[in-house]
Amino acid sequence: MYLYLYQNLPFPNWYYIHLLNTHLKKMQGTISCMRNYNMNTVGESLRPLTLKTQENGESVRTLVEENAVIVIGRRGCCMCLVVKRLLLGLGVNPTVLEIDEEREEEVLSELEKIGVHGGRETVKLPAVYVGGRLFGGLDRVMATLISGELVPILKEVGALWL
Amino acid sequence: MGDTSPRTSVSTDGDTDHNNLMYLCSLMKGIWVLVLLILATVQRVKWIKRLAQNREAARKSRLRKKAYVQQLENSRLKLTQLEQELQRARQQGVFISSSGDQAHSTAGDGAMAFDVEYRRWQEDKNRQMKELSAALDSHASDAELRIIVDGAIAHYEELYRIKSNAAKNDVFHLLSGMWKTPAERCFLWLGGFRSSELLKLIANQLEPLTEQQSLDINNLQQSSQQAEDALSQGMDNLQQSLADTLSSGTLGSSSSGNVASYMGQMAMAMGKLGTLEGFIRQADNLRLQTYQQMVRLLTTRQSARALLAVHNYSLRLRALSSLWLARPRE
Repeated sequence: MYLYLYQNLPFPNWYYIHLLNTHLKKMQGTISCMRNYNMNTVGESLRPLTLKTQENGESVRTLVEENAVIVIGRRGCCMCLVVKRLLLGLGVNPTVLEIDEEREEEVLSELEKIGVHGGRETVKLPAVYVGGRLFGGLDRVMATLISGELVPILKEVGALWL
Repeated sequence: MGDTSPRTSVSTDGDTDHNNLMYLCSLMKGIWVLVLLILATVQRVKWIKRLAQNREAARKSRLRKKAYVQQLENSRLKLTQLEQELQRARQQGVFISSSGDQAHSTAGDGAMAFDVEYRRWQEDKNRQMKELSAALDSHASDAELRIIVDGAIAHYEELYRIKSNAAKNDVFHLLSGMWKTPAERCFLWLGGFRSSELLKLIANQLEPLTEQQSLDINNLQQSSQQAEDALSQGMDNLQQSLADTLSSGTLGSSSSGNVASYMGQMAMAMGKLGTLEGFIRQADNLRLQTYQQMVRLLTTRQSARALLAVHNYSLRLRALSSLWLARPRE
């Protein structure tokens, strides 16, 4: 099976395969989309979402501490959208922080410093911070939603008022 | 008359006979010894020949064994080489343009392996459910039922572990639902069933429920519905984003320029496809969480009945599939 490429290309197939490989190697570790993509959310909710673009490491910490619920994810990441929708469905208005690929390292190292009792915890994106502390990823959100623990926690930090 | 006749040992007749006899005896003895000697040599010769033949045969068999072992070693080397190639091919998937079917067969291997594992899992499940049904009918104690129910939940955990491994290999096979029967495929959502639908099914079967239980099950159903919706929206978004990636730039008959951007697009699209594995994992996680929570909310007996209800429903779906496949066609 040969990759179907443009017709009449001047270089042999292996060259294009090599190009593709180099692109993919660059993307190693980030299984999500690249930064240039502009995400159009399907069916925007009525609640406004505050989207802040990344400035520097310090402001990440302040964002986490100031917001009851904040979702941090890569720009254009579909999982991040799932978390957002889940929280919206519960009636929470989460702050969303979208990170460019270039600043990802920086932001992650900054986030890891916000560990409990000064310990470092590994952070995977998308990450949800509730009440200034790392709550977890989509796994934890889903598990706590199903077990009924999520809503009380959200009420406790003041993200829900019903 | 010669007085000095030479003294010849002229014996008397008796003596001559006796002497002749003695002579004959010794002759015969000699002949006998000779015969024996001849026989001995003949036998020895035979023995020597046999030894030689043995030696020859042993040498031949040693040579044959050596040749056989050599052949075995060669095939073993070839086998490890093929295995390495296969491993490399699996990791790189489509990037091997050498043999025509290689990419397809590696994907097929993963799919077939999963199908086999799933069938085995299904058989275990059937056995477990029969055990559960027998326990319920025989009014077994709650403790015994608990063991079986916990075992059933652990078995679901096992399935999702198998699926997660298979997703690394061939996520599209899982999403296609080709490993399920036709009627089951009607209800396919992200590579499996919808937890919310399952709960609706169970709620009907489980009268009587206490008010608290009713409320809790309702909440559970709503939560799982919310989670499903969120995941569905994520999938829609992925679809849209993939379409946008592939259609960006000019779609007309292109010049050979800008290959790098084409490859960049392809790389981006590959990244998006990679997120599918995560979606399936989240969907399976949702299914498992729902089962676990359901069992927490119900009594042991109710949980047993719920699991059996789900199983019997899926048995009916499978029976329907068989009937459908066997239906007479023009």
